[in-house]
Amino acid sequence: MPNPVCVDVRDVHKSFKRGIETVDVLNGLNLQVQENEFVSLMGPSGSGKTTLLNLIAGLDRPTSGEVIVQGERVSSMTETQLAAWRTRSVGFVFQFYNLLSVLTAYRNVELPLLLLPLSAAERKKQVMTALDIVGLSDRVNHRPGQLSGGQQQRVGIARAIVTDPALLVADEPTGALDAKSADDILDLLGELRKSLKKTIIIVTHDPRAAARADREIHLDKGQLVDAR
Amino acid sequence: MKLLFLIFENIRRNLIRTTLTGLGTMMMVLVVTLVFTVLSALDRATTEKQTNLKAIVTEKWQIPSMMPYSYAKALSDGGANPDDPDAARPEDSMSWGFFVGSTEENPAKRSFENLFFAFIMEPEKARTMLDEVDMLSDEEAAPLLAAIQKMKDVPNGVIVGQERLEKMKKRVGDRITVFGRNYRDMDLELEIVGTFPKEPARYADSSVISRDYFNRQLDAYQRTHNNKPHPMAEKTLGLVWLRLKNRKAFNKVSEQILTSPSFTSPSVKIETSSTGIGGFLEAWRDVIWGMRTLMAPACMLVLSLVISNAISISVRERQMEFAVMKVLGFRPGQIEMIVLAEALIIGVSFGFLSAAMTYGVVNGYMGGLPFRIAFFPKFSVPTDALWWGPAMGALTALAGSYGPARSARHVKVSDVFARVT
Ligand SMILES: Nc1ncnc2c1ncn2[C@@H]1O[C@H](COP(=O)(O)OP(=O)(O)O)[C@@H](O)[C@H]1O
Ligand SMILES: [Mg+2]
Repeated sequence: MPNPVCVDVRDVHKSFKRGIETVDVLNGLNLQVQENEFVSLMGPSGSGKTTLLNLIAGLDRPTSGEVIVQGERVSSMTETQLAAWRTRSVGFVFQFYNLLSVLTAYRNVELPLLLLPLSAAERKKQVMTALDIVGLSDRVNHRPGQLSGGQQQRVGIARAIVTDPALLVADEPTGALDAKSADDILDLLGELRKSLKKTIIIVTHDPRAAARADREIHLDKGQLVDAR
Repeated sequence: MKLLFLIFENIRRNLIRTTLTGLGTMMMVLVVTLVFTVLSALDRATTEKQTNLKAIVTEKWQIPSMMPYSYAKALSDGGANPDDPDAARPEDSMSWGFFVGSTEENPAKRSFENLFFAFIMEPEKARTMLDEVDMLSDEEAAPLLAAIQKMKDVPNGVIVGQERLEKMKKRVGDRITVFGRNYRDMDLELEIVGTFPKEPARYADSSVISRDYFNRQLDAYQRTHNNKPHPMAEKTLGLVWLRLKNRKAFNKVSEQILTSPSFTSPSVKIETSSTGIGGFLEAWRDVIWGMRTLMAPACMLVLSLVISNAISISVRERQMEFAVMKVLGFRPGQIEMIVLAEALIIGVSFGFLSAAMTYGVVNGYMGGLPFRIAFFPKFSVPTDALWWGPAMGALTALAGSYGPARSARHVKVSDVFARVT
């Protein structure tokens, strides 16, 4: 029996206005991702991968259609509701890590927790757990500039999982890394899925990264093409 | 509150920019504090006190006012009829004559440096009636009280302001000869018995000699000049100060004095001391107006622009970070607050620093701001400056960071991240 659906994208259209012309990026797109599934999303540049990921993570709203994550209708939340929802329900991993350069690894990971009603002790416990999972317990007080790309991405992942969201989305998480570090990060994501039961969606250009996923889907001309 | 560390890390991030913004704030607060120092002192002097007010009686038609000393006693009583127990009487009084002279005998060599200016008055009144001295605690006034006490034994004693004493290169205990200018051919042999306290600074250049002693010198003059009185002998009373309980007492005393037949030749006028000073300051009105309405706001405007510029550069640099924070779930309002708080912290702390330094240096080291206007020799920075400074810093910081904070608030995540990759 298949797992329940975690992400349900229904007939989503998304267009952007650029000056006077309107660019249709997604045209009636449908996608279901099951809980604890690992999906990779591929497609040519400009095909709308990031746009789709942003819609799923509640960073933007579709022009029409619905996005439902874990039974919640993300596409019709207000901006404030979305902000609170994101903190708890979705972890976002960036291609260029996007850590705050002035903060230590610890403070970076702690950032989302500051938005939740937690005591300092509770926060500390969660931050240390997250850093432990990504294998950086010994780099707690390092700033991003003192860490390698692979290590920074681990901090980025720790920040994404620190509030224990069910869904992780990653936009080219290995795009800026060398092959070895990229492998390590993919191992880590696989591990998160296996032991923490996360649902994971990654956008990638790298066929080897895509091969790690349960399912590869391709985005072309605003439509999905299941590849595997 | 949990976000304070983030704000401080951001302030630390670009120390040069923070420092420059801070220095700008300090310059502005410095200028505005000095301007306000002068303005608030003038304001205080011209604001009429409703209770415990002081009145000044002077000659009506002539400046400088020169009344006969025979007026002094009756004016000090507020023109009250001695037989009328219900007449209004002042709570205290002080009569002033002015002795202007020089410690230099040769008229050609007389200058501001050797100028000697003294109030001819009863020494005890220096403690109870002189503006601001009357506000001092006994402790603060102790040296003055000692000097006043000494004048009882030393009739030709003189109390000299500290600055004047320094200019004369004299010390307490020294004797000086002063050569009269408004009282021609009256040279006084005086013994310095003490000084005014450092505060209030307005008496730093003035001296006090005894009225009794002076009157006896006038008599002596007459004896040595074929029994001819000094030409000024009937004009030795400059003005009389009266301390009145309230407005009502002032009105009553005014009426008594103005209707009394005793003060008709010359006739006199009475006004509250603040209107007196107000009239004096009339000449400075444009300067004061300029300071109040142009200079201070202009400073604040310029600083707002400086802060605005610095903060908007830093916000532009951090577009990506604000977008990331939004992804993590920070609300637009929180991001706006972070930017405002950064500016606020810089504004308030440097504003306070500047005000505190101005306060310390001007009051402590310089002993007041030497800005010669009317008869205020020096202005002390009021303690209030310690909150004006931070308040001005806060105000300009908020004005300057409002725009950048708004733009940080409106950073659109999808614009920052959805680039074609
Ligand atoms: N905020 C935006 N405003 C205007 N156009 C956008 C915006 N975001 C994305 N686009 C356009 O939508 C298309 C898809 O972009 P994106 O989803 O970033 O592609 P990719 O598949 O490379 O991640 C591109 O043509 C891009 O220029
Ligand atoms: Mg993209």
